[in-house]
Amino acid sequence: MALPSLRHPAQRSLRKQCHQCISQMNSPRYASTAAAPIDELEQSSFQAPELPSDEANQFDPVGKAKGRRKQLPPSRYQFRPPKYYRGPLAPYQPPPSSDPSSREFVPGPFSLPRMGETYKSTIAQDMMTLSYSHVIPGTPQPAAGQRLRTWDGDSPYFANRPLRAPKGGHVLRPLHKRITFRNVPRLEKITVHSMSTEAGSGDSAYLHVTGMVIQAITNVRVKTHEARTTVQQWGLKKGKYSSVTAEMKGEDMYHFLSKCVDLVMPRIKDWKGVKGSSGDETGNISFGLDPDVVALFPEIEVNYDMYPPKMIPGCHVTVHTTANSDKEARLLLTAFGLPFYGKLIN
Amino acid sequence: MHFPWIQRCSFTSTPTLLKRQKGGPKRDTRILLIRYFLHAPRTPRPLRLSRMRALRHWTIHRAYQLHKETLRKEQELELERMYYEMRKACEQLRTIGRDGLEGVEEEGKLFRVAMEKKGVWGGVPIEYARAQTEWPSREGWNSGWTWD
Repeated sequence: MALPSLRHPAQRSLRKQCHQCISQMNSPRYASTAAAPIDELEQSSFQAPELPSDEANQFDPVGKAKGRRKQLPPSRYQFRPPKYYRGPLAPYQPPPSSDPSSREFVPGPFSLPRMGETYKSTIAQDMMTLSYSHVIPGTPQPAAGQRLRTWDGDSPYFANRPLRAPKGGHVLRPLHKRITFRNVPRLEKITVHSMSTEAGSGDSAYLHVTGMVIQAITNVRVKTHEARTTVQQWGLKKGKYSSVTAEMKGEDMYHFLSKCVDLVMPRIKDWKGVKGSSGDETGNISFGLDPDVVALFPEIEVNYDMYPPKMIPGCHVTVHTTANSDKEARLLLTAFGLPFYGKLIN
Repeated sequence: MHFPWIQRCSFTSTPTLLKRQKGGPKRDTRILLIRYFLHAPRTPRPLRLSRMRALRHWTIHRAYQLHKETLRKEQELELERMYYEMRKACEQLRTIGRDGLEGVEEEGKLFRVAMEKKGVWGGVPIEYARAQTEWPSREGWNSGWTWD
């Protein structure tokens, strides 16, 4: 082939020209600016020592690469971690979620929520002080009562039988612990739930608008849920997608709560507060927002025309706290500015 | 569909067929848009950073985590300190009697009063339940402030 034989002389001449260029750079480029001699210049890493001419002539990377019998591997490290977590024993693990190359990577947090900062600086201390109960030193720790009952009797069938459920219900309530500096109640997460009955009967537009509205006010992606049973009165059909939930934690949670408390709730007409009997007895408190209240959220309000007005849904908000009882959870939420009315249960 | 530039015989006996609405019932455009944006691809592909960029990211991330951990520990220690101060104060209240003296009558009255917790579980008054702000400042308005 003629091409490789042509290449070498051409490259040599090119290199020679380049070398001339480099050597010319030391001489003044413009007549008007007098160049300083290179010895007087300050030492810098940009000044490379001049290459000896024979070494420069021997420099021939292309020829070297051609002369190589086997190609080198590509310069980039071409490992690609698995897309999904396949268990702790898998030979290759996906990167941790804090790594930008991870699929679970979420950038942020981008803000310091005011509610969270208030909790850290004020509410945690207030909660601890308000719910402080003194234990006289030397007092023995009261033993926790029997939670699951044993089978008492002479029957031979009672031997090795699993313990009985608690009296008065099947659910084992969490043990209440005295509040100390270790377990000051705090917000854990907020769940927003909205069900559109029209979606169950075939028109998916309601579900889509509901999802968009909930996504807009909560800033998290919603999950859709199928109806578990058929309920004729509500127009629910088993297996049809009929509701959406959004679960917020951390930054989003505090932003949502402060939007509720500062912007939305003061504008509700004749609103007394959250019902005092709300709660599941384990420190999670729920309240509902009507469709016209949901429309008061700033994200909906500024862009109200984007949503078909009759399709804006109401929603249920559940505030999950780490408190063990509703009493403490309510105290925490009132400190955040959520009012309660009526008889306070539990 | 009506196309005014297409000449049609005026004497046709089937104008209704041409005037027929096609494409089903009219839907709200807003719903169409909501569906479009709701089903837009969820996440872009993961970022691929070069070695130095990834290292920089990792360094900053670790430093921030350490910083958060330091703050959290400080706050926990502060809470613990407050708790034990309260405990100490309650112990002293329990042992003193009238005039703050030990071993006299009405011993521990102040302690019992403190432990009554009247009106605590009714909640924080709404006027105090406010998120902290950077203003108004504690010093009030600085009237003497000048530009330089």
